[in-house]
Amino acid sequence: MTNSTKTARIAAIFLAFATLLSACNKAGTAPAASSGAPEPERTKEQMIELGRQHKTAWELYQSLREKTKDGQRLASSNLPDWSGVYTRAPVPGFSFDPDQPPDGLPTAKLTPEFHAKMLKRIEDAKRGIEWDPISTCSPPGHPRWLTEPFLREFIVTPKQTWLINEMVNDIRRIYTDGRDHLPEADRYPLYDGDSIGFWDGQKLVIHTNQLQAGIYQRSQPDYTDQVETVEIWQKVDDKTLRADVWVYDPPALQEPWFTRQSYVKLDDREKTLRIRYWNCGENENNAVYQTKEGATQFRGFTFTKNKNKQGESR
Amino acid sequence: MIKTRFTPLLSIAALTVLTIPLLAHHSGAMFEKEKTITVEGVVKRFEYTNPHSWLQVDVKNKDGSVTTWGFEAEGPSTLQRAGIRPSDFMPGTKLKITGHPMKDGSPAAAWVEAIRADGKRFDPREGFKVK
Repeated sequence: MTNSTKTARIAAIFLAFATLLSACNKAGTAPAASSGAPEPERTKEQMIELGRQHKTAWELYQSLREKTKDGQRLASSNLPDWSGVYTRAPVPGFSFDPDQPPDGLPTAKLTPEFHAKMLKRIEDAKRGIEWDPISTCSPPGHPRWLTEPFLREFIVTPKQTWLINEMVNDIRRIYTDGRDHLPEADRYPLYDGDSIGFWDGQKLVIHTNQLQAGIYQRSQPDYTDQVETVEIWQKVDDKTLRADVWVYDPPALQEPWFTRQSYVKLDDREKTLRIRYWNCGENENNAVYQTKEGATQFRGFTFTKNKNKQGESR
Repeated sequence: MIKTRFTPLLSIAALTVLTIPLLAHHSGAMFEKEKTITVEGVVKRFEYTNPHSWLQVDVKNKDGSVTTWGFEAEGPSTLQRAGIRPSDFMPGTKLKITGHPMKDGSPAAAWVEAIRADGKRFDPREGFKVK
């Protein structure tokens, strides 16, 4: 065999191996390398602009998927380690955008109707007129789900990732097995919507639709049942999971609302932290109702008579 | 004799901001955010429940009668993070407790701080700090 023949054979073997490796990577058996060379970290301003470049959440999601050649599926051995008990990094007032100035308004570019609605809610709250739709124990729902300040766990498996919030046992299931959303005619409103996703290296990219109308938080804007989100979740250091989130909601938002959410792993050296079943109705002292004026009031207490006002004795 | 007293906080702006109750599933609008009340008494019952816990305290009035006060805080996991456990407030435990009182005058308040007879302090809002 001549040297040139040997070289050609080695090249052919190398090419065949590379092709096989690429096929394995699609099937999730190869190491979870990021697609292509690592891109430089995008600033918040660049992410805002990326949202503006796409008319819908679905278009943004598709463009992210195309960049990764339809995304990756990860094998068990390649999944990121998101174990531990987390909570949202503290945000004053639970604002949806952690960058909202302490005395400022939410950063969303709202339509005039929704801007006026939000201002009224804020003014009413200052006068003690405040009612939260979750007061009767319904789940917060997504995208509000991102803001709640309680314990969280993140369970990553090859075909699904579960994003768990302790509050009202709220679990978002993200399907990463290649399935699509339900046909449009069969969609109906859900608290946490329908979420599908793919992996881009160690980043989980999620599209969520089929959501219900709600509020981002108290003293925050409303969203409608047309709201859809795109999220990119990743671990940015040993203790922090970050979610870059674009919210699209044409009736309420003039442009997509981009926010950067952070969840911090709690110190649990004593192993005392537990996520327990959350029965919102277990204690009747927590039952509240909405008054005629729109405020919040307790229904009554077990530890006192209904008209046992302060200073009166039993 | 056990006393109840109101402590206006209007002049202590920073403290007022820190003491606004933070309540999981309902607004705190039924509480006086700019006032606190402090009572001394003994624990009647500690309801360690979701979404809110209630510490019930028997307070002796000037005429010798007893009023049961309820102090609302967050649920078990947040209290756990604040270092507040059911065993910290067994029935009969003597304490002094401060909270934002109800606007309608009911004997209930949003729990701000409790100090047991042994001097140990308990602040439920510590449970929202990241450690």
